[in-house]
Amino acid sequence: MAEGLADKMIRVDMTALTATTEPFPAAWRLLGGRALSARILRDECDPKCDPLGPGNVLVLAPGVLAGTSAPTSGRISVGGKSPLTGGIKEANAGGNPGQDLQKLGYRVIVVKGKPADPDKRYGLEVDATGVRVVPADDTKGLWNYALCERLYQRYPQSASFMSIGPAGEMQLSGASVACTDEKGRPARHAARGGLGAVMGSKGLKYVAIDAGKLAVRSPAVRKDFFAYAKEYTKAYQAGPQMFKWGTSSVVPVANMLNTFPYKNRTEGQSPDAATLDGKRIVESFETRGGGMHNCMTGCIVQCSNVVHDKDGNYKTSALEFETLTLLGANCGIASWEDVADLDRLCDELGLDTIETGAAIAIYMDSGGMEFGDAEGAKRILREIAEGTELGRAIGNGAVAIGKKRGHERVPVAKGQALPAWDPRPLKATGVTYCTSPMGADHTAGLIINPGMPPTEYARASQESQLANAACDSSGFCQFLQPNMEDIAKYYSLYTGENVTREQIAEMAWQCLADEWAFNDGAGFTAADDRLADCLVEEGVGPNHGMKFDVPADIIAAAKQRFEPREELYKLKATG
Amino acid sequence: MPTLVIPPPYRGPTQGRDRIEVAGRSVRECLAAADALHPGLLAMIVDAGGALHRFNRLFRNGDPLQGDVLAAPLADGDELELLSAIAGG
Ligand code: SF4
Repeated sequence: MAEGLADKMIRVDMTALTATTEPFPAAWRLLGGRALSARILRDECDPKCDPLGPGNVLVLAPGVLAGTSAPTSGRISVGGKSPLTGGIKEANAGGNPGQDLQKLGYRVIVVKGKPADPDKRYGLEVDATGVRVVPADDTKGLWNYALCERLYQRYPQSASFMSIGPAGEMQLSGASVACTDEKGRPARHAARGGLGAVMGSKGLKYVAIDAGKLAVRSPAVRKDFFAYAKEYTKAYQAGPQMFKWGTSSVVPVANMLNTFPYKNRTEGQSPDAATLDGKRIVESFETRGGGMHNCMTGCIVQCSNVVHDKDGNYKTSALEFETLTLLGANCGIASWEDVADLDRLCDELGLDTIETGAAIAIYMDSGGMEFGDAEGAKRILREIAEGTELGRAIGNGAVAIGKKRGHERVPVAKGQALPAWDPRPLKATGVTYCTSPMGADHTAGLIINPGMPPTEYARASQESQLANAACDSSGFCQFLQPNMEDIAKYYSLYTGENVTREQIAEMAWQCLADEWAFNDGAGFTAADDRLADCLVEEGVGPNHGMKFDVPADIIAAAKQRFEPREELYKLKATG
Repeated sequence: MPTLVIPPPYRGPTQGRDRIEVAGRSVRECLAAADALHPGLLAMIVDAGGALHRFNRLFRNGDPLQGDVLAAPLADGDELELLSAIAGG
């Protein structure tokens, strides 16, 4: 691989409570993040295992370029069998843990087993002196912010953390894994698919990574790598910097496109789009402070907002479009400030804001409480921490609360709640939700093209899934929008091998193939490649006429490999 | 006439068309003409106060427009490209 540190990996056995290191296999040298996680799960995890049992494998895999000076490249993938979907899952997060692991030379952490005593809590320490599993009962039940405060008393300020909140400890299917951002706040989450519950099932409350003053990783073709990274950064900064104000500012146009779901997706537009518009958040910076920042060191996009309360104190980060939609409009909640409170509560408890917002909306839709009851929604989130029956059902996600309430309008694919981007106006995105091994996940392959002819859906979905799989394996953030040519050039200069764009496309396809194979092994069939009935039968938009009516053969075609074409290599990742 | 290049997210009002010719001597006039042909397009480009949405950018013949972009002049044959960062989160 690159010069300097030899690549290593960490194996953690939570039954024996041991952590060991070994050389990273040369055959995996070009695999990172999502693709590495898929390979390890394919090879080392029985797809039929109980997701919360000792047989599940939790993978923490930084992207190939994490820890280097490539801009916006330090993201980490969390992988495992999902307790939410029953299939394979990769959830990707920013923050600093991915870069810190790579600076120490660690390409991946593989966690197996389960402690004999489920009431015990443990931490995993990773630093220049080695790796250790340590007792951490004193952290039991701590919410994420209090936990990180305590951890910073115990570990150097240079450390970064991955952690779970009470939701993960309770092994709820909507639980996330938090990563500390560059200011040490547990604000970035590998949120989707309940991987926090997998970490919780292994008794692992946190991973502390301290790279101290270690420098970035040294590329094989040093001078050219630095020159390319500099040129790439300069070009980005001279360009339009489209994500400068974050994702929340897209609310008004998403609303116009009928992809700003309202009241459990019974409408595609919300009358509250103006009060949920991210523009309001940006306006608040003036009087309250907060602003835009980079969630991880070295990010040049800086799309992440820091939101303050009326008194100018930090409240949460980042308040994203997805959260404003699912915990806001979809619950009939009109104020972005209430959504900010809910976002903070989810980050504290360690919950996916998409799944949780969808679950609360289903609860409201089933008559459990009024749409728009923001205080009620906050109360329910606190109930999750208390472990009440209702709290647990909400924390277990959309399908769980739908079952508990006997309610049929449960908008999911493969058991996972739909994100904001709606498959009825955006049908090619719907094809992604049906065919992605991840279930309904916009980061798996988002296509915002309402004018696209149906004949193009399958190829567009497949190409977008490939572009995003390549990106999520590299360590780049999707908001940098790298294409396969960019990634190939970075890999070549980093490794000293001639890595071609065709190889990147091949690895992305292999990643999807590994994931589909895992799901097949878990018992999924073509019959699972569909959306919930409510999305097919109930429309949004004018006269509720936009329904998900894509024929099964077009959906199936997205999983048959198309001959790669020029456009594939130039397609930008988009999440 | 100037040509307006439409990014994928905004091709709903244009029924999938990615380029349209529009009469006008400024960006404002051309966008108004485009909206007359394809109602709903303008609201996706500018907000209620008439300012460009934060996630949109306009380019004239490949060069980014800055300042009062809507007042920028356009001539016959000019290409006005709209870029959008509507995504994610
Ligand atoms: S682009 Fe945004 S989400 Fe991505 S790493 Fe940078 S700040 Fe974080």
